[in-house]
Parts: sequence; structure tokens; C-alpha cells
Amino acid sequence: MSTTVLQALIGGLTMGGVYALIALGFSLTYTTTRTLNFAQGDFVSVGTFVGVGTIALIGGALAIDPASYPWAYLLAALAASLAMGAMGLPLYLAAIRPFAGKAGMSWVMSTIGFGIIMQSAALSLWGPGTRMVAAPLGDDVIRIAGAGFRSQEIMVLVLAMLLLGAIDYAMHRTSLGRSMRAVALNRDAAALMGIPVERIMALSFVVSSALAGLSGVLIAPIMSASLFMGVVIALKGFSAAIVGGLTNLRGCIFGGIMIGLAESFTGLWSAQWREIVVFVVVIAILAVFPDGLFGKKLVEKV
Amino acid sequence: MKLFRKLVLAAAAAALPLAGASAQDIKVAYNGDISGSPSAESGQIGVMGIAAAVEDINKRGGLLGRKLVFLVRDDLGQPPKSIQNMTDLIDREQVAVVFGPTNSGNALAWKHIANQKKMPVLVSSASSTAITEPTGKRPNYLFRISMVDRDQAAALVAYAAKNPEAKKIGFFVETTGYGQAGLKDMEQIAALHGIKPTVIEKFDARDTDMTSQLSKAKAAGVDTLVVWAQAAPLGHLVRSMEKIDYMPRVLTTWAASFSGFPQVAGDKLMEWPVFLTTSSAAPSSAGQSLLERIGPKLANRSMFWAATQAYDTVLVWAAAVEQANSLDGEAVQQALENLQKPVDGLVKQYDKPFSIQDHEGLQAQDYHWSRWQGGKVVDFEDPTLAAMTAADFKK
Amino acid sequence: MSTAPSSESIPLPPQRHGAGPAPAWRSAAGPVLVAAALAALAFSLSNDFYLRILFMCGVYYLCAAGMNVLAGYAGQKSLGQAGLYAAGAYAAALLTANLQWHPALALAAAPVVAAAVGVLIALPSLRVKGPSLALVTLAFGIVTEKLVTEWTDVFGGAQGIYGILPLTWDDEPFSLQQWVLLVIALALATHLLLAHAIKGRFGRALLSLQFDEIAASCAGIAVYRYKILAFVVAAALCGLGGALVAQQNQYFNSDFVTFHLSVFILLLVLLGGAGTLYGPLAGAVALTLTDVFLARWPFIQHFAYGGLLLFALYLMPRGITGLFERKRTPPPPAPAVAPPAAVELHRAAPGPDGPLLELRGICKHFAGVVTAQDIDLQLQANRIHALIGPNGAGKSTLINILTGVIAPSAGTVLLHGHEVTRMSAHRLAARGIARTFQNLRLFGAMSVLDNVLIGAHTHLGLGVSESQARREAMAVLAFTGLHDHAHTRAGSLPYGLQRRVELARALASRPTLLLLDEPAAGLNPQETRELGELVRRIGGLGIAVLMVEHDMSLVMEISDHIVVLDRGAVIAQGRPKDIQAHPRVIEAYLGTDAGLEEE
Repeated sequence: MSTTVLQALIGGLTMGGVYALIALGFSLTYTTTRTLNFAQGDFVSVGTFVGVGTIALIGGALAIDPASYPWAYLLAALAASLAMGAMGLPLYLAAIRPFAGKAGMSWVMSTIGFGIIMQSAALSLWGPGTRMVAAPLGDDVIRIAGAGFRSQEIMVLVLAMLLLGAIDYAMHRTSLGRSMRAVALNRDAAALMGIPVERIMALSFVVSSALAGLSGVLIAPIMSASLFMGVVIALKGFSAAIVGGLTNLRGCIFGGIMIGLAESFTGLWSAQWREIVVFVVVIAILAVFPDGLFGKKLVEKV
Repeated sequence: MKLFRKLVLAAAAAALPLAGASAQDIKVAYNGDISGSPSAESGQIGVMGIAAAVEDINKRGGLLGRKLVFLVRDDLGQPPKSIQNMTDLIDREQVAVVFGPTNSGNALAWKHIANQKKMPVLVSSASSTAITEPTGKRPNYLFRISMVDRDQAAALVAYAAKNPEAKKIGFFVETTGYGQAGLKDMEQIAALHGIKPTVIEKFDARDTDMTSQLSKAKAAGVDTLVVWAQAAPLGHLVRSMEKIDYMPRVLTTWAASFSGFPQVAGDKLMEWPVFLTTSSAAPSSAGQSLLERIGPKLANRSMFWAATQAYDTVLVWAAAVEQANSLDGEAVQQALENLQKPVDGLVKQYDKPFSIQDHEGLQAQDYHWSRWQGGKVVDFEDPTLAAMTAADFKK
Repeated sequence: MSTAPSSESIPLPPQRHGAGPAPAWRSAAGPVLVAAALAALAFSLSNDFYLRILFMCGVYYLCAAGMNVLAGYAGQKSLGQAGLYAAGAYAAALLTANLQWHPALALAAAPVVAAAVGVLIALPSLRVKGPSLALVTLAFGIVTEKLVTEWTDVFGGAQGIYGILPLTWDDEPFSLQQWVLLVIALALATHLLLAHAIKGRFGRALLSLQFDEIAASCAGIAVYRYKILAFVVAAALCGLGGALVAQQNQYFNSDFVTFHLSVFILLLVLLGGAGTLYGPLAGAVALTLTDVFLARWPFIQHFAYGGLLLFALYLMPRGITGLFERKRTPPPPAPAVAPPAAVELHRAAPGPDGPLLELRGICKHFAGVVTAQDIDLQLQANRIHALIGPNGAGKSTLINILTGVIAPSAGTVLLHGHEVTRMSAHRLAARGIARTFQNLRLFGAMSVLDNVLIGAHTHLGLGVSESQARREAMAVLAFTGLHDHAHTRAGSLPYGLQRRVELARALASRPTLLLLDEPAAGLNPQETRELGELVRRIGGLGIAVLMVEHDMSLVMEISDHIVVLDRGAVIAQGRPKDIQAHPRVIEAYLGTDAGLEEE
């Protein structure tokens, strides 16, 4: 019995780490621009395929079997992050900037539209089928205390935690991070302080998209890669961000882990009702805490 | 390559009706999934088979002296789209026959439309039993040359019942229409054998981690799983099995022959399940020539059955049209139920394949027990199978 | 950080200029003619392909009309409408399949079931805004989708429910043509009902929710109730659409219920023109036609859909109807109508003896910061009271407690002797307490007249007709000198006039007590003088006034009674003369020498 619990724990933390990465992306863009990329899922999926394509390219160009060379995978992750990060810029320019600051949520529609276009382009390149991506550290099952894990799960868990720590450090200890937080809190004051607000906002989208692409490559060996897989993952990342408090970076991380664990442990009881339970819990949390568990309620002066 | 192929298909679909399509030409159409779901592979290959058949018939002078024109509609695996395509094809394009679809759920969604409009439909891929069952007193216009879930379930459950090593049986199904219908068939047949499954577990077609459901089966001591799912989830299922170190016997449907399965399962695990297919390793001579034509385009040779079955549906329909000497839906439907001359197809020779009660072109005798070995689908043999008789196939 | 909602950026249709709402029969004539034309078209078509297009247009129109109320008017951009569509469809399916109900009954019951489900989604959505609302509604949609997929025993999952009994005519199931006629009839009925509701009090109340919930509730609008109502309307209509599709197709399964459908329904509204009467029609027609004619090329269709989402709202921020609005030349300014000769405003009925409003022991603390300490206060009818004190004294807190915006930590509030301590803002407004705000909270995108009409919301519901309400509103405008600006967009007026509009809005609710929070802030001396005049005249109507102010000359000139607050406690109260000489007041405002001593 405890092996299944251990399995669920590790599985939950792994997926939770990925959700947290995506949640961070949402938080970054929301705090700086008050908008979100509703097509984040498509960035995850396309990032995966950029990674897959890179690996295939390396394998073909160097006539090697990429599965035996972990650095190929590393390059793929890098390529995915860069490519998707680069896509973050046109996303910002075309879908966000025209609408940011305006009332109504037109940016919801426009980001979804951007995602659909990107997905259509990707579909024509790679088709709708699923691909299995070989795990860089081998596909064998590792047994710890009777529970089975694949190397990829451990790797994702470790990498995700490292990344989250790094981003947390960057946001709180570096001047760039401070600038971003300044823009989030008070755009005008930040501008007056000489912070290039527009560039920071664009940067937040670039970083957010890069995180999404990276998440896709990380997840691919665990789930199979398909151009439709990202939607559900991003949705859970979104839930994690809002439940944790969209404006609170650490809250987002917490939210991600929480959702990963909730999903995993509900799965022990009944795999089918997993998502239903998780989303009902999300709704319940928001009903009681409209700003998320750790979100700051903007106290309005009436 | 994919984009090119898409463009070619689209151009063909668009151009064929325009160029050279005169009022005299007969329009035939395919309505199914060629891009959206894991089953799309069989749709794409089926389209190739139909196109080849249309080409061959036109080379022989056409049907009733008229040329055949082939339209293709992609339904993305979605019922609303599939329904939309049907009304487009029936009411606007006014085709003479519809081939397809790929997904069982879609066939069931527009079955009543085909029957209401008296449009003959020949299915070469979707296997849900309910597709060819008549509804009420009205004649059913859907015919099939393909595996039928009922027969597959009969075979799999019969094997599980006969095998002395299979003491506790579990049913694992997908929550799609395909999986659900399969479960119903399995349960009914198991009851005929007096067997009750120890566990019944369900999983989503997009799931990649079934360890939770498998743990329950493992805890209950299940040693044989009969699985009803598409290729990719089947692959993830066996991977999950490996993860929790639980390898029961796996019996499953033809979905295991689709490319998605070996891709996901990997070299080692893909050889584990035992399943049923319709095409044996060696095709007939007519099949051989088709294999030469479209073989290069097939990523997975084991999917060749999708092409041969589709090819045969065109042949059988053409034979019915010639017998009825008309394209009228009602006449063709009655001719199909009453085919006088045997038709030499690629899969087999069809001798009075359909009747009023039975719209299935292939029977259990036409199925082959198979498994993957060395990257190819080969025949599976074992003592239990050898000992099975016709009486074991209760359905 | 400024939290006043941006009134410039919400696109709204221009207000109708002229005397008032057109007579009911005249506004119904247009839609009836259109419906008749469509019915004629349906009769002439025999090709099921085109009939199906008409049918889906109609179904999507119903969904869009409902969604328009929720997203366009109430401003709740819900992303979970697919769940309501499913609720209606499955209701119709299961009622006939399992309970053997008559199909017509099932069709009628479907919107009711969907409405009940709509309440379920409305409840958690009440307090959330923006992305959180998007998530709550989205999560709801996903939960519904998963529920109908996984709970196969009840909903049939992906295999779906067959043999849904359709409506029959002459023992034959409805032909597509008959379905189209039915849908046209339903669409017409929906349009007429909604148009009537939207043009009046209901529509204004919903719009106010979008712009400023706090101002709306202080004007007497029960915010939560209206939000739930908007959700219910949207749910019922989407459910009806789903039920129609289920019955027409005689089959329904979980594959029909997707996130894509929710986005599509929202897009119908946004593309057509949110918050307009004909937006849903434009959206339904445009998107259905695009969908159908591109269906042959799914790749292009997909791409076109993405492009539409990405660019359409940028090129047409007001949707399709917005394009037509812009082309219309603005009508000539309404001829100046002389204000009604005798400006008779509703006089406040004299209440029973005793103080109008009484506070006993009111305390309020925000996590350790005490803003009100044991405040005892009495306000008399027919008096102008002023509340003064240094910044941070707790004056606004007190006003917010009196108007129900925040609840006191301890103490009681009595109105006419009845306890109203924790009563919500809109109920206090209904009992005759009205207010203005320190940071202007006008509904800037609406006309001045509409702002005032919103103020009159509570008694509009009690048997006062729309035309009478308009007359009274014009009288209030005349009283406050805003008659000429009745049809101008409130947000476009100069600041001083905007403050007066807020005052007029408060007056329109026929208050017995009017609370003004720093009404002279930002006004120049001339405007301040005019304000003083106006407040005096208001007092003359028998309305009690409590004014929070810093402008001492104004306070001293017009007040009958002054209360001085310092650090949350009342330090003095009395007539202006007494207060001016009060030593503690002087100390609080100017400080004393004692405070300057080093310790």
C-alpha cells in the first residue's frame, strides 16, 4: 500500500512542478500587464514538437541515435525554450498590446486566436499524431522501496524544483526581477524611475512562453507528445496560478504542487474522477477565497 | 511531407468535382477522420484504398458506363462535424454512396440520417457492433466490411475462458464510444460463458498513467486483461504495467496493430499483447499489387488491412449497383442484401456477404490471431487456440 | 493606486436620442417582419443542407442572445457555457429516454433544468472577477464535460444517448423545415422578451454591474441577485439551444460538449457586438455561415477561426453592429427643451418622531487599526449635518458603515428606530439612504439620464412605469441644473458637472437621508458656492443631509449641526458657532504646543 502512496507522491510532485512552472508564467504576465496568455497550452505543445524536431535533426545530421546522448535532449530543451520564448514577442505585439488596459477581456479571444494559428501551422508541419519522445536517461523503470519510477519523472521533478528556486531567487534578488515586480505594482511609478516598462511587459511574455516551451519538453517523455496535449496541462497550470493567488509568485508555486498532489492522490481512489474532483476543489477554493489562497486583496478605497 | 500530402488531398478533393466532373459522373465520398484522432491513420489509409479502387474501376470503363469521382471529407473525429459533412454530401453534393467513417461514435451519430435519406454507407474501419444493427422496422443502410466488436469480443472472451491459466479476468476499457460499446459486448458474452470479470476499470483515451487502475487489478490477483482501447492508450497501459511490475496476459483488439501502439510501447513491450487482425502476413495476389502501389506511402505496413478493406467496400458496392442497374439508394440497399454473384475482393471472396439480418462482410473465421514480433505483425499460435472450436465462440 | 474603473474604454452603443422608448408595438414590428421573411425563406428551401444552416443559425442565435445578457450587459465573460448547453441537451434526452416524457414537455423542461444548473455556476462566480471568473466558469465547463464523459451510467458518455424522441407532427418526426420554423418562432419570442427587458430597468441594472458594483449596490441594485439572474437567463437559452440540437439530431453525446463550444458562444457575442440588441443575430449569422462554408477545408477553417479571434476584436472593437453604428451620422443635438416650469420634486415624507438615524457604540477596526471607536451619533430629519475631522479620522469609514458598504465590528445602527446594522447596501438604499462617493463613481459610459434612472431603480420596480420614471428623472435633472446634458455621456462632462450627476443620481432614489462624501473636492470656489446652494435646496425638500467635508467655509455656512471626528472618536458636536471655538477641535486640526515638546 505504501508503495502506491509513494508512487502517487512522486508522480504528484513531478506534475506539480510542471504545473508550477506554467503557473509562474501566468503570474509573470498577469502582474506586469494584467493579461494572460490563454493559449499557453499551445505553447507547451508546440514547444514539445520543437524539441522533438531538434532531436530528430541532431540524430539525422550527426547520424547518431539521439536516445543514447543526453546532451541532445539538453539542446532540445534549450531550442524549445528559445523558440517559444521568441514566439512570445509576436504574441505580445499582436494579441496583448492592442488590448491591454482596455476593459473587457478581448485579449482572451486574441490570445486564443494566436494559439489556434500557431497550432494550425504546427499541425501542418507535424500532423496530429502522437509521438513518443525517448527519455534522455533511459526508459528503464527504477525501483525505490518497491515503487517504480521512470528516470524522466525524477529528472523533471529535480529540474522543476531547481528552476522554480532559480526564478524565485531572480525575482527577489536581481535587479531585473525587482524591475518586473515594480512594474507589476505600479506601472507609472516604475516608468518614472526609469524602468523601461514596455520592454519589461514584453519580456514577461517572452519568459512565460519560454517556460511553457520548456515544460513541454520536460513532460514529453512522460506523456506522449501531441499537439493537443498542452491544453489540459495549461489549464491546470492556470488553476494553480489562480488558486495560489495570481499576483503571488510563491503562491503560484504552492498552487501548482497542490494541484499536482491533489490530482495524483485522487487518482489513487478513482482515476476517472480525478479531474472532476480537482476542478470542483478549485471552484470551491475560489468561492471562499476570491483572490486565491495567497492573493492580495486589493483593498479599494471607497 | 505531411503538408504536401494534405495539399494534394485537398487539391484532389477540390479539383475532382470541378475538373472533368460532368453531370454524367457518379460521385462517391469518404466521410471520416483523416487527421484528428489516434484512429486517423486507418482513415488516411482507407482513403488510399478507395482512391485505388476508384481508379481501377474507371480504368475498366467506369460503373454503368459512367466515371466515378471521389470526394473526401475530413470529420476530425468529431460527431458534429461528421454530421455536417453527411448533410453536405447527401443534400448538396448528392453523392451516390458514402464510405467511412473512421470512428464508431461518428457512425452512430449520423446513422439515422443515412437511413432517413436512404443513402447506402459502407464502413471499412469503425467496428462498433451497433452500427450495422437495424433500428426498429426500418431497413438499415449501413454495411460493413471490417472487424466487428461483437465478434472480436466473442473471440477474446472465448480464449480467456478456454485458457486454463486465465483464472481471474479483468476488463480494461477506454471511455470513448468505442471502449464503452466494447465493454457492453464483453460483459454480455462473458455472461454467456458464465464468467464474471474480477475487475472492470476505465481510463481516458488521453491518459498516460494507468497505474492506479492497474494497482487495483494487481491487488485483486487478476492474471488476464482483456483491453478495449485505441493504440496510444494501449501503449501507455503496458508502460504503466511495467512501472508497477505487473505483467498479466493482455488480450486486445485490432487497435494494437495501429502504429501508435508500437511507437508508445517501445520495442520490448510492444510484443506483449495478443490481438486480432483481419489481414494475415501474406496478402493475396491482387492484394500484392495494391501493396506495391501504396506500400511506399505506408508508415506502418501492418495497417495495410485498412486499405484492402476499403478497396473491397468499393468493389462490393459497385457489384450491387451493377446488379440493381441503378444508383437509387433503396435499390442498391436491397441489391447489397441480396448479392447474387460472388465478388473477388482483396481480403477474401465475398459470397452473399449480406442479408437482411446481417450486414457484416467479415466473420470471425476471417480474423487472425496476431502479435508483434521483430517489428512486424505475425500470426500467434498456442495450444489453447488450437483446441478452440466453433462452439466456443458464443455470441 | 487608482481604482476608479476606466470609463473611457468600454465600448457601448450610442444612446438613443429623443423622447423616450418607442412604443412597444412599433419596436416589435421590425423583428416580426424579419422573422416572417425568414419563415418564407424556410418554406421555399427544400434542400436540407441549407435548412440545416438556418437551423444552426437559429440555435446559435438563442445561445448568443442569452450570453449577450450575461457577457454583454452584465459583463460576466463566462467560459463555461458548453456546460449549460449540455445541461439542456441531456435534460431533453434523458427525460424522453428514461422517464418517457413527451418530447414537447422535455423541450420545455430543458431550459428550466439548465437554469437550475446556471444557478450552480453563478454562486461561486459572484465574488470573483477577471481571470478568476474566467477560471471558475472554465472549471465548471470542464467539470460538466468530464462528468458527462465519465459518468456513463447516467449520461452515456462518448457513446451517447440514441433515439432521443423528437417533436412529431402527424406521427412523423419534425422535418428539418419544421424545426427551422420552430426555431424562428422561439428566436422571435426571445428577441421580443429580451428587448423589452433590456431597454428598461433590467438592462440598466446589468450595465451598472459591469461598470461599478459598489455604486450600483448603493443605488439600490441587488448585485448578487442580478448576477444570478443574468446567469440564469444565459443558461436557460443555451440549454434550449442544446435541447433543440439533441432532439433534432435524435442523438447526443459527450463529444458535443467542448471548451471550443464555450469559446464559440462567447465569440458569437463579442463578434456580433456585446451589449447591443442585434449583436447576437449578427454574430450567429456571421459565424454559422463562416463555419459551414469553410467546412470543406478544415485546415483553412481552423486557420480562419484563429485569425478571426485574433484580429476581429481589434478591427471591430464593438463587433459587427459597431461597424454599422459608426456609419450612422450622429443625430442633431436634441432641441433645447425648456425645463418643466414647476420643479416639484418628491418631498421626503416626515418620519415618526425621534432621530432619523442613530448610531450607538459603533466600532470598527481593520486588523489592529481602529478607525471608529465607540461612536454615538444622532441625525435628525430636515437638518444638514456635517462631519469634519483631520485626514485619517475615520470619516469615510463611518459613511461606508452607514451605507452598508462595510460592516461595523460592534455597535448598532437604527433607522427610524429600526435596526439596520448589518443590512446590505442595496437594502439600505431601498430604505431611503443615498450617497455620493469621495472618488467619483459614475457610470461614465452611460448618459446622464440613464445614470439618474439607475438611481431610481428601487422604486421603478414598485409599479412606477418607465415613462413616468423618465419624467421624474428629468425633473431631478432640472432641479440640479443638468437638464441640458440629459443625453450626454456622463464621462464626457467636466468634473464639476460629473459630481453633480452623482448627486442627481442619489436624489433620484427619493432618499430620506443623503450622505455626501467630500462633495466639494476638486471644485473651484464658484462651483463650491453653487454646491452649497444646491445642498440647501435639497435640505429644503425635507431630506436630511450628512456631508463629509474639508472646505470649512462651506461647512460653516450651510450646516445646522457639525460632528467632529478625530482618530475614530467623536470629540465634539454642536452648532457651527460652538464648534469653531471648541478647544479640542482646534487642537485636533492645528495641534497644540504640548505636542511639540521633546519628551
